[in-house]
Amino acid sequence: MPVVELNINRIKKLVSGNVTRKQILDVLPFLGLDIESEVGDEIRIEYSPNRPDYSTDYGIATGLQGLLGIKKGIQKNIIKKKGKFAIKVDSSVTKIRPYVTGIIATNGKLDDVAIKQLMNMQEDLHFGIGRKRKKSSIGLHDADKISFPLTYTTVSREHKFIPLNGNTEQTIDEILTKTEVGKDYGSVIETAKNVPIIFDSEKNTISFPPIINSALTTVTPNTKNILIEVTGIDKEAAEDMLSVVVSILQTAGFEFNELKISGNKNSTPQLKEKNMIYDPKFTSEIIGIEMSLSNMVTCLKKCRLDASIKGKKISCMIPRYRFDIFSPMDLTEEIALGYGIAKIEPKLSPSTTIGQKNDVTIKTKLLSQTAVGLGFLEAMNSSLTSKKTLYESTKRNSSEIISVLDSKSQEHTILRDSLLPSLLDNLSKNIHESYPQKLFETGVVFSKGKPIDESTNLAVIIAHKDTNYSEIKAIMQSLLKTNFKIISETKTSQNQELFAKGRHADIFVNNNKIGEIGEIDSNILENFRIRTSVVGFEIKLSGLIFD
Amino acid sequence: MSQVFHDIEKKILETLQKLPNQTPEQLSKNTELSIDQIRRGIEWLRLKDLALVNESEKITFSLGPNGLDSFKNGLPERKLINLLKDKPKTFEEIRSVLSGAGFNVAIANAKKNGWIKIEKNNSDSLVSIKEKPVETPEEKLLSLIGEKTISQEEVSNPLAMKILLSRPNYIVQTSQKSKTVSLTDAALSLDTSISSSGAIDVEADVPSVFAARTHPLQDTIDEIREIFVNLGFSEILGNMTQSSFWNFDALFTPQDHPARELQDTFYLENTESKNPASSSQIKNVSSSHKKNWKYDWKLSESQKMVLRTHTTCVTIKHLAEQKPDNARIFSVGRVFRNEKVSYKHLVEFNQIEGIVIGNNTTLRDLMGIQKEFYKKLGLTKIKFWPTFFPYTEPSLQTMVYNEKLGKWIELFGMGIFRPEVTKPLGIDKPVLAWGGGIERIAMLKYELDDVREFYNNNLSWLRSA
Repeated sequence: MPVVELNINRIKKLVSGNVTRKQILDVLPFLGLDIESEVGDEIRIEYSPNRPDYSTDYGIATGLQGLLGIKKGIQKNIIKKKGKFAIKVDSSVTKIRPYVTGIIATNGKLDDVAIKQLMNMQEDLHFGIGRKRKKSSIGLHDADKISFPLTYTTVSREHKFIPLNGNTEQTIDEILTKTEVGKDYGSVIETAKNVPIIFDSEKNTISFPPIINSALTTVTPNTKNILIEVTGIDKEAAEDMLSVVVSILQTAGFEFNELKISGNKNSTPQLKEKNMIYDPKFTSEIIGIEMSLSNMVTCLKKCRLDASIKGKKISCMIPRYRFDIFSPMDLTEEIALGYGIAKIEPKLSPSTTIGQKNDVTIKTKLLSQTAVGLGFLEAMNSSLTSKKTLYESTKRNSSEIISVLDSKSQEHTILRDSLLPSLLDNLSKNIHESYPQKLFETGVVFSKGKPIDESTNLAVIIAHKDTNYSEIKAIMQSLLKTNFKIISETKTSQNQELFAKGRHADIFVNNNKIGEIGEIDSNILENFRIRTSVVGFEIKLSGLIFD
Repeated sequence: MSQVFHDIEKKILETLQKLPNQTPEQLSKNTELSIDQIRRGIEWLRLKDLALVNESEKITFSLGPNGLDSFKNGLPERKLINLLKDKPKTFEEIRSVLSGAGFNVAIANAKKNGWIKIEKNNSDSLVSIKEKPVETPEEKLLSLIGEKTISQEEVSNPLAMKILLSRPNYIVQTSQKSKTVSLTDAALSLDTSISSSGAIDVEADVPSVFAARTHPLQDTIDEIREIFVNLGFSEILGNMTQSSFWNFDALFTPQDHPARELQDTFYLENTESKNPASSSQIKNVSSSHKKNWKYDWKLSESQKMVLRTHTTCVTIKHLAEQKPDNARIFSVGRVFRNEKVSYKHLVEFNQIEGIVIGNNTTLRDLMGIQKEFYKKLGLTKIKFWPTFFPYTEPSLQTMVYNEKLGKWIELFGMGIFRPEVTKPLGIDKPVLAWGGGIERIAMLKYELDDVREFYNNNLSWLRSA
């Protein structure tokens, strides 16, 4: 989950009214924000990726005003239509990054903290909605450094400009191979011969989306008017991003002027509110509380939406940046939040069903109880294990290996097809503990099938200096006979790497092989650095005691 | 302190109660135990504060060759006096009787005793008796010792002994160290007969044994399972390997969602599910994605096999296949996340997840079930916070107050399945869903701060947890 750092005094000022620190800290969780840490006046907050407007203190302050009842309903934004601001789209961008959208924010001021927050918000938007800048990406510019109209087109990789935070001109190729952002996001434009670019009317490079802006238009605390441009391969995602930035800058005190967009299926963004009709029955059916229509309207307004009663239903206006609201069910949640989750009383209704454990659970438990009765300690190992434990140390056949892709842990790269190797590994890690050591494990093992077959196995292992085949065979037969009345036999088997020559067998029940048993070979024990005798067996329970 | 005695201890105690202060040798004789057994028994009793060992040194004296000679024939000075009894004699004459060193010693001591006077002539000196030579203390001591050995206490004149000791080969001094054993007051009144009833030392340390047991994490899983069965929930099982269709697509997670990337989810190498779901399920789910997320949904993405990232895929599949009107269902099992292993993250952990469909399916009912569940686990201080899950709306999380840590801890998440999830699968009624990790609860129960401990199978922990 993304994190935002806030200063509580700044929040207080933005929320206004006589709000206290305690009120703020108490209400934050009810906006769905988790307080991760609190050091003095600085707090770190985790927000959900579905609410990118909470990535700055402006957005959070807007939410707090609502729940605290200081300001309710939508913050109306009026976009001035007249102006010289325009961008034309060239058809050459079609194949690489076809859409651009944007707006001009005017007459505002951003301090260093606000600029830093906006930059962080930009990165979170790039990661979430932008899918690492692939789907859409954003650029903020000092509009006063730009001669309008703009052109969104493509240029060759030899094109040069001074990138943001740079001093000298660099070619597109140099930016892609030498800068951090170039290396991180260059894959988005792949190997295209020509790359997206935004020029102003004097042919100055403004931006090289989705990689980097030009140094020319850097936003500073002296910037009054800002150009926000968003490019992407998804028009909707681009406008989603734009709407979030607009809502934040609006709270920061900016006004807006339209940026006329034309060419190549692009159009000027409307950023209009969405209307949704809400059926109030959902409130009682879903939340379980009875509420008057006017009360629901208040709840929605506290969540910074607009709402009014229309006959027996509610007409709700949803600002453009609340694209997380898909359907009436989302409005139900808004009503619950506006009402206050803390005020909703849990209710325990009697169950009309009778609970039942699964047969596999019941029978596995029975078997475990017998194993404990015979003096065995239960072990639990991961299904994902290492090639070393499963195959190399045990010299088992690895032709049917099932691997996962790109595991971050060397110890967890393949799915186990047997339980005994992990139990040997357990003994190996406990050589300093007192003997005898007796372990068992029940668990799922995996094999290639349609596409993967899963079955439940039981493995048992004994380690002490005097243990032998007879001891483990007696245990095996007792385990199957107790409760399950299964009579098993052992038959001489082909030599196997895991077991000592002439001291192992196949286990049969009703002439079906269900597993293997024997004394572990001394070479294998050496691989696990075990210095005592070990015997063990493993059987397949699926098909034996349950389906 | 144990009042049960070893046979050796018992015999020593009884003997000393009859006759205090015995040497080990005496004890050995009186108890008929070997001297080694006596030494061991004394040491045990001493450690129990029942016996005292007094170590002493005994010094004895007897006469050496010169002393014996003097005892029979008198000291050299007495021999001199005997020579002079009749008349004074010259050195020359005396030497002819008292030869060698005896002469000097006799002259020197007789003079010191004031017995003689020496007159010098031209050629010789003349020795005569000055006054009556009475018996000296040394002489008395010599006759006291005689041919016996006496102890230091018997020596009445220590100065005389000191003088005799300074004269060569007169006295043989021997010193002998010895031990005597006595009982403490507590021991004197002990009744040693109780140990003859077969009683043993019930307070002594014994070797450790360990109980065989089920795994503590398994116990927690069983406990939680039991609670939900009691709340009317029935258990279903499902595979850990799942198609992306059931793990993600059926739960409304768009195909380009970050959670679906290799770096968060384990994909199986070269493994696909040809027919992850029925053709109508695939058709309906894909159109829900296209309509709401507005992207080009691909069947091939949904066919990729993953290790399930939650157990919700098991319950949603069950709902889609069985379409029950009224049911309480849960599933518990391993889930997987491609994470770096640390004290708070595992790649594989246990999750429980349940659903309610049918009657009483409001958010309040969902909260009520959670509250009851935590109550049965002994967690009563709980609250609910809003949160976000891609496939539920509204969504809440439970916060549980931990007294020991002094803070609120996030436990299970819950919500009502979005219509975008249920409708395409032909489920018309609201479905309550909840779930969470089990290790987190087990960590609180076993007071662990490193989640890896559950899978280390460290015997010292398993044997003591």
